[in-house]
Amino acid sequence: MSSWGTLRLFLRNPYGRFGTLLLLGLVVVAGVGPILTPYGVWQYGVCKPFERPSISHPFGCDEIGRDLLTLFLSGARVSLFVGFVAAFLSTLLGALVGLFGGYFGGLLDAVIMRVVDALLAIPSLVLMIIFAAVLGPGLFNVIFVITVLSWPPVSRVVRSQVLSIKEYPHVEAARACGASSMRILFKHIAPATTPLVVANMILQISNAIIAEAALGFLGLGDPRIPSWGGILRFAFRMGAMSAGYWWYVVPPGLGIVLAVLSVTFISYALDEIVNPRLRKY
Amino acid sequence: MTAVSLPRYAAARALQTLVSFFILISIAFFLFRAMPGDPTAFLLESPRIHPQTRELLKQRLGLDRPLYEQFFVYIANVLTGELGYSLYYGRPVTEIMFGRRMINTLVLVGSSTFAAIALGLLMALTSVRKYGSKLDSSLTTFSLVTYSIPTFWLGMIFIMLFSVNLRLFPVGGTITATRVHEGFLDLALDYLWHMVLPFTVLTLIQIGYNYLIVRNSMLSLIQEDFVYVARAKGLSEDAVIRRHVFRAAIPPFATIVGLQLAGVFTGAVMTETVFSWEGLGRLMYEAVSTRDYPLLQGFFILILAAFLVTNYLVDLLYAYLDPRVRLK
Repeated sequence: MSSWGTLRLFLRNPYGRFGTLLLLGLVVVAGVGPILTPYGVWQYGVCKPFERPSISHPFGCDEIGRDLLTLFLSGARVSLFVGFVAAFLSTLLGALVGLFGGYFGGLLDAVIMRVVDALLAIPSLVLMIIFAAVLGPGLFNVIFVITVLSWPPVSRVVRSQVLSIKEYPHVEAARACGASSMRILFKHIAPATTPLVVANMILQISNAIIAEAALGFLGLGDPRIPSWGGILRFAFRMGAMSAGYWWYVVPPGLGIVLAVLSVTFISYALDEIVNPRLRKY
Repeated sequence: MTAVSLPRYAAARALQTLVSFFILISIAFFLFRAMPGDPTAFLLESPRIHPQTRELLKQRLGLDRPLYEQFFVYIANVLTGELGYSLYYGRPVTEIMFGRRMINTLVLVGSSTFAAIALGLLMALTSVRKYGSKLDSSLTTFSLVTYSIPTFWLGMIFIMLFSVNLRLFPVGGTITATRVHEGFLDLALDYLWHMVLPFTVLTLIQIGYNYLIVRNSMLSLIQEDFVYVARAKGLSEDAVIRRHVFRAAIPPFATIVGLQLAGVFTGAVMTETVFSWEGLGRLMYEAVSTRDYPLLQGFFILILAAFLVTNYLVDLLYAYLDPRVRLK
């Protein structure tokens, strides 16, 4: 199937179409939103504490009179930024480990695979919480922790594909022509793993967004620029639920749900296309 | 291809599990000793502590010895269950973790996991029987949506809706602290009443995953030859799906449930935090908030041991159910 054919099938799939539109919308909101809002993230006293949503403050206000729409928009930026960057880095790391491990094999590969097995055995989010608590809160630490604990599944699947690709005739031909290991690896093997790597990266994005939200809620995110999870932490600690300040609680959570959902829909649609067994029986 | 006998397979997997355990506790050692936020730094580097006291403390904690020696002492301590004292509670870490809190978590996590498995399987079966119908696609959408909701936010929404607005359930806690309970039944009912919301949240976030896994594996199985044979025998489509496809989808699902127990604990941390449920999850949140390093390390090792053992048992069960796993 050509890549255009795949794209057409993907966009014809209702999950794929909806997910793509949603994600594009969120990226635009996160990119443009913070520029358009007249307030700063730490500009307090622009309205009464816990003011209800109104025309001038559509999302209401928090406990020190900050505009919640402004917080929501900058939170979108942080959440999506962490999600995309951490997913990209962990996929890259996992793919490289899988490529080198699968191609060269040997003792190093055996050791790495034992570490991967060990890391896969326990829940990564719990590990992330513990690691982040020890390292201390911060944007960089959150990205670091998510990256370092998310790559093992990617390396596992890439490695197993490399193991089979390296036996293909075209790789053998390249080797017979005297191509170097690096050339074979990056010219003849790596391109063939691209679809798998892309599919995994999409999964990694939703996992990273969920992980960031949880870390932010537990107070391990950057305290200076709260993400959606960080805003919910403020809401929780200020007793917004008991007081019935729904405008403080609902938007950031919906933001997380929509972001994760868009990515989940995209990967579900891709799965239905790439795995024709799921299409019809 | 020869199959390894079950005891030999069990021994080989046990060795593998032990290797994993050592790798992970070594990672924990370097994380908790060598990282910038050294667990003892704030105690030792405080100007209020007399230099002599500091030296004594270092000696007591064994921090004056070379790193490799500390490493062996640490391994020995972990193996004997000596996990040190909590900085916040001042009591042994093991004493705080093993007790009432652990029971509370096991009750909550156990019951919701069970409910999520039962409901997930039931929904998947319904979906495949009515494949391509409105019901099928709504169940799939429902699952994708619940799968995308952050646990803690769902909990917050539930509290706002059912506790604050409708006043149906308590806002949090495990029992009503201000009430004198008349007998065990009264206490149990109060406990269950507090458990309804956290139980529902923890069940809801698990259903989606179970459903999607079983539904997809059933849809793949439906094209296998044994299903063709079952149809050729003249069995009704319903009987084919229930008796053949569904049954074949269970063993692989069992492994995934085992692996998934891992994720459930994370759910428990978030749920227990939001609902003030006095369990291990809430305790871990407190340990994170107070930077209680020995307690965090205790959690690391407890979680590690629990999940490696579960994985091991699930693998054995799977090898017993499906001998192909033992093929060399």
